[in-house]
Amino acid sequence: MTATSLQFKQTSEINNLARLGAERLTLKHGKASIIENLDVSLPEGKVTAIVGPNGCGKSTVLNGLSRVHSPSSGVVLLDGKDIHSLPSKEVARRLALLPQDTLAPDGITIEELIRFGRHPHQSLLKQWAMDDQQAINYALNAADLEGLKDRLLDTLSGGQRQRAWIAMSIAQETPLLLLDEPTSALDLGHQIEVFELIRNLSRQGKTLAMVVHDLPSACRYSDHIIAMKKGEIITQGSPKEVMTKELVRELYGVECDLIPDPMTGSPILINMKRVRS
Amino acid sequence: MINQSLSLPNNEEITTAPNGHRLLSLGRHMTLLIEKQAIIRNVWLLILLAIACVATLGMGSMPISPKEVIAVLFGHGNVMSQFIVHDLRLPRLLAAIFTGAAFSLAGCLMQTMARNRLATPGIIGIDNAAMAFAVSSVVGMGVSLAPSAMALAGAATATALAFGLAGGSGTRGYRFIVAGIGIGAIAGAVTQLLLSQVSIDVANSAYPWTVGSLSARDPMMVKVLGIGLGTCLVACLFLASQFALMPFSDQVITGLGANIKHIRIIALVLCITLTGLAVAVAGPVGLVALVGPEIARVLARYRGIPLISSALTGALVMILADLFGRTVLSPIELPVGIVTAVIGGPYLIWILVRRTSRTSL
Ligand SMILES: Nc1ncnc2c1ncn2[C@@H]1O[C@H](COP(=O)(O)OP(=O)(O)OP(=O)(O)O)[C@@H](O)[C@H]1O
Ligand SMILES: [Mg+2]
Repeated sequence: MTATSLQFKQTSEINNLARLGAERLTLKHGKASIIENLDVSLPEGKVTAIVGPNGCGKSTVLNGLSRVHSPSSGVVLLDGKDIHSLPSKEVARRLALLPQDTLAPDGITIEELIRFGRHPHQSLLKQWAMDDQQAINYALNAADLEGLKDRLLDTLSGGQRQRAWIAMSIAQETPLLLLDEPTSALDLGHQIEVFELIRNLSRQGKTLAMVVHDLPSACRYSDHIIAMKKGEIITQGSPKEVMTKELVRELYGVECDLIPDPMTGSPILINMKRVRS
Repeated sequence: MINQSLSLPNNEEITTAPNGHRLLSLGRHMTLLIEKQAIIRNVWLLILLAIACVATLGMGSMPISPKEVIAVLFGHGNVMSQFIVHDLRLPRLLAAIFTGAAFSLAGCLMQTMARNRLATPGIIGIDNAAMAFAVSSVVGMGVSLAPSAMALAGAATATALAFGLAGGSGTRGYRFIVAGIGIGAIAGAVTQLLLSQVSIDVANSAYPWTVGSLSARDPMMVKVLGIGLGTCLVACLFLASQFALMPFSDQVITGLGANIKHIRIIALVLCITLTGLAVAVAGPVGLVALVGPEIARVLARYRGIPLISSALTGALVMILADLFGRTVLSPIELPVGIVTAVIGGPYLIWILVRRTSRTSL
């Protein structure tokens, strides 16, 4: 199987863009409202980065958007329909979520983990087909895991494991991909590789959202930034519009200066100082 | 040259099964993926089970050679052996196989749902509650409803109570187990209380059953259990791919398109059915549910969820425990429940004391 045939298949399959958004979404943990009356939508075919301090509700929003967390009120719309009214397996063919905390079955190899990503495409009488095989090979290649595919997941480093989980969500072959801190454990090389993979997927027409803590990477690798604080979106827009020293101060209580990257023009933070507001 | 350029186009590439699997194509649109290791494991267990069956059928106060046993099973052999095998020993053997498989399968299912090796129906109190209901129908109320139905009702009640008391945490977490242990203790006490209210003869005759025994089985209940077990095994085969997702976090399970709530409810219904019907036959021999799946997991090298293997190991454990109980102090017969408690008790302590990376399941 050649790389080009894989590439072709990946692009040709996505003919309709998927739209995901929420209207007046309220999400609670127990009695506490974490998110209240949130309106949000992900630009189609683009990469959206969600940034904000720890505990501001980024993961909660991703869980809400991926119907893992049921809303107390409001609605999540996938292609115009209430996501909770659609069959779950059907949703899983359109939308994949990489959660922040992961937990895998004991004694599972990387390839086996990635194979679970094919679950929504399989059924009792169609347990294995050519597309499963191709999707898994593509995902292994994309996450640079070909040499490790038969290793047990428990015996890998944190970053290798994170790449295996990314590969699993890629193997799901969905037009929509929500990634919660996909690069938090990765070395510089693999971070860039994953970000470039994300870019590549969006070039193929997929809609992606990722939670990222590193602001320069968020600016560099996304088309749209959503900045959150205390369960609310305080601003959103293109990286150039949104990323200002005032925003950094408001979000993180950090004074800094922003200079444009001489090569790409995307902002770099310098002179950082914690001020706590 | 020309021939080469006419070679198969890309989309006709041959699909190969993943490592360790075999692809079974039935027609163009039907493909089954079969794990080789699981097939080999289950075939071995079936062979062992067959050997244990032949041995058990031959053992007793009138020993019969394996050859003769096999002849009888195939419809030959002399009249005496036919009578002993068919009428005396086979019903008990079938009861052992069915109850062992049912308890063990129920144990594997519940451990999987709860992600905890301690969470077996016996520990959650389902066995005891099933027994309390069944006993109450015989002695307490003076009306003898079908013990199977009562045992099922008891099993369902205990599960519902454990669920209710566990609150939001569902089947996951220790609250479910702690609540279940309490329910089991209460149900056990209720059984004792009921038995203390009836004449000593009735209590004596009910005694073996309340500690778990295959000597007091009712042929009708065995038949019902056999049907129930068969149905549950088929259901497990259909649901295997969904059960396989259960060790993941809830987020991943939902993300992959499975409905956790439905899967949990189905699994609990299967557990209740299997345990209730098995208790109606043999009383609470719940420790098989702890030991059987563990052996199956060791054989499976802790990979996947060995449902079928658990059923087979459970049947084996039950046959061997019953055989041991019948022969070790012969002519005195030890109830199988006591034998499994003697094996399973220390094992339970070992689980509790041992801390390994695999304590999650
Ligand atoms: N299971 C839970 N029960 C109760 N509260 C929770 C739970 N999970 C999260 N929270 C609360 O919800 C809020 C938002 O959490 P969330 O995980 O969405 O934050 P986050 O923005 O993803 O943070 P991080 O950057 O640390 O991942 C936090 O205040 C947290 O304390
Ligand atoms: Mg988070």
